[in-house]
Amino acid sequence: MELFELINFYLVPGIVLGSIYALGAVGITLIFAILRYAHLAHGDLATLGAFIALAAVTSLGVSPLAALPVAILATAAIAVGIDKVFYNHLRERPKIVTVMASLGIALMIRAVVQVVWGVDTQTYSRGIVRPEDYFGIRIRDREIYTILAMLVLVGALQMFLTQSKWGKAMRAMSDNPNLALLSGIDNKKVVMLTWIIAGGLCAASGFFLGYNTELKSMMGWHMLLPMFAAAILGGVGRVEGAVLGGLIVGIAEELSVLVIPSEYKAAMAFAILLFMLLVRPTGLLKGKVL
Amino acid sequence: MKTKLFAIAAGLMTATALASVPAKADVKIGLLGGVSGPIAAMAPAMIDAAQLAVQQVNEQGGIGAGETLVGVVGDSACNPQGGTDAATKAVNIEGVVGVVGPHCSGAVLAAAGSVTIPAGIALITPSGTSPEISNLEDKGTVFRTVPSDDYQGRALARTMKDQGYGKVAVAYLNNDYGTGLANAFKSEYVDELGGEITQFAAHEEGKASYRSNLAELAKGGADTLVIFDYGDGTGLTILRQALENGFFDKFVGGDGMKSDAVINELGAENLASFVASSPVGAKSESLTMFNDAFKGVGGDPDAIFANTSYDAAFLMALAVEKAGGKKEDVAAAMMEVSNGDGEPIRPGEWKKAKELIAAGTAIDYKGAAGEHEFDAKGDVPGTYALFEVGSDGFEVVTEMQ
Repeated sequence: MELFELINFYLVPGIVLGSIYALGAVGITLIFAILRYAHLAHGDLATLGAFIALAAVTSLGVSPLAALPVAILATAAIAVGIDKVFYNHLRERPKIVTVMASLGIALMIRAVVQVVWGVDTQTYSRGIVRPEDYFGIRIRDREIYTILAMLVLVGALQMFLTQSKWGKAMRAMSDNPNLALLSGIDNKKVVMLTWIIAGGLCAASGFFLGYNTELKSMMGWHMLLPMFAAAILGGVGRVEGAVLGGLIVGIAEELSVLVIPSEYKAAMAFAILLFMLLVRPTGLLKGKVL
Repeated sequence: MKTKLFAIAAGLMTATALASVPAKADVKIGLLGGVSGPIAAMAPAMIDAAQLAVQQVNEQGGIGAGETLVGVVGDSACNPQGGTDAATKAVNIEGVVGVVGPHCSGAVLAAAGSVTIPAGIALITPSGTSPEISNLEDKGTVFRTVPSDDYQGRALARTMKDQGYGKVAVAYLNNDYGTGLANAFKSEYVDELGGEITQFAAHEEGKASYRSNLAELAKGGADTLVIFDYGDGTGLTILRQALENGFFDKFVGGDGMKSDAVINELGAENLASFVASSPVGAKSESLTMFNDAFKGVGGDPDAIFANTSYDAAFLMALAVEKAGGKKEDVAAAMMEVSNGDGEPIRPGEWKKAKELIAAGTAIDYKGAAGEHEFDAKGDVPGTYALFEVGSDGFEVVTEMQ
């Protein structure tokens, strides 16, 4: 096989897919680390974000990329709202209750999307976009934007977590919640901040999935498993780990077609998840063990 | 005192329970379809067409002694789990006398195998095309108004050979629909006609990228990709990524790919080399009657499977009438109302049919999508055409033999 064929048809799609997974996985890993439960509504929240961007594109007539900030802000606000209305009441109960509740939230969000936008497949812009040729590497503009946006958003988050006061508070909550509370960190604000970040990244992940392919009401749900695999692979609580995990899962899914029949491609994320939980539950970058 | 209160309460409850039973019971049939899921864009027209049949029955005298026929809509979500759930609800909770649907083959196989066959309820699907449905051990209770994909796959192979297609690669969705169609196509194209299939690969639905699958399919030098998938679902993603990356020159789809979503999202200008096969109602008086009636209630008669859905519901109503509302007799009655012998009944002629059944005369339904003379497996033969994308949507290229 030629090198360029490997890059163009396996690596590039894998990296783009991996970037989309990474954006979702970062949110999952933050919620896992700070609030300590698996958030199963993450995929459908991403769907909602993607459709909010679609609403902005169709109603305001702006370009899809300009609609991204709108979707990020709106989804962040909705994520905070969901936490206030539902998860907040379950905080003192065993965590499994919240996990199950999040599954219910996932169904509710999907139902809202189906009621408001219907169940037909939609796109941000009609028609097809052929890739540009950069010295033999064929890549579409939107794929470059996807990878760049992922790097910028995650870089900014990493800066925030390490440099700012509130970022440090979030990391403290993640390391030891009791100690963090004793030293006067406002739990409510940290939870809200977590949801703003997770919701915003979720919207970005759904948006880029829709931008690169199509918008469907089930699109986020299908992404949930690879995103969890990415978060656990990278190490729970590690932002850079989630990015690494996302890229590995994305590339592994695309490359798997070379060795196994294509109908088992979807099983790749399962295999990675199972393997990591058995062999190295801390993940590649030594995250928390759950 | 307490016991007395209990007795009164219990008495009141019994009274309300009795009062809620209407004087004339409604006769319910289940209308199960893929309201959500990959064929969600096709489902509304199909359900509407079936409801049109129900509406005509009620306008022209209803079932039996003037009872109202009610179509209970259920969502089979186009998958086996959804099909079983919807059928269970229809049969056990709603108490339907027959089931029209589900739409997708996988849902039909599951609903029939685990619910309607054990319960002895007749099931007629307007769009479940998998060859597997023919082989169900159904004690004569499973019917369809759409021909098996065994016919379609073979007809498509013959037509492609006639049109001069050479080496092809086949990508099919890994479910009962895709697998059945792909295997029928393969056996005719390769074994009977000596054509060459360079790659033959299944894929799962719902992934964001199929470029690596397409790169694998392109190995072997085929210039044509045959896609057996849904144009509202994964089939659209595959077609888009194949077009964008120039993996193939020509594209051929089965009936699932003949969806308006393909034209709406990719643009007709990009689809010059795309053709899709689809069952067509042979031109007949019945088809015209259905088309006019469906236009009259605001429907689009050209929507895929609209006419088969209508026929399925109308046949179910005829069978229920013939069986006198006894659900265990509906399946046998279905065979009798459309076996080629008797007074012809056309779409919408409920009143005439009702009178003839009451008089004990044999009737023969001649449906919008075809004559629907069931064979021993509950299957009907079909007619197909190959469609291309023109300026006003899909246009017929040629009839398929």
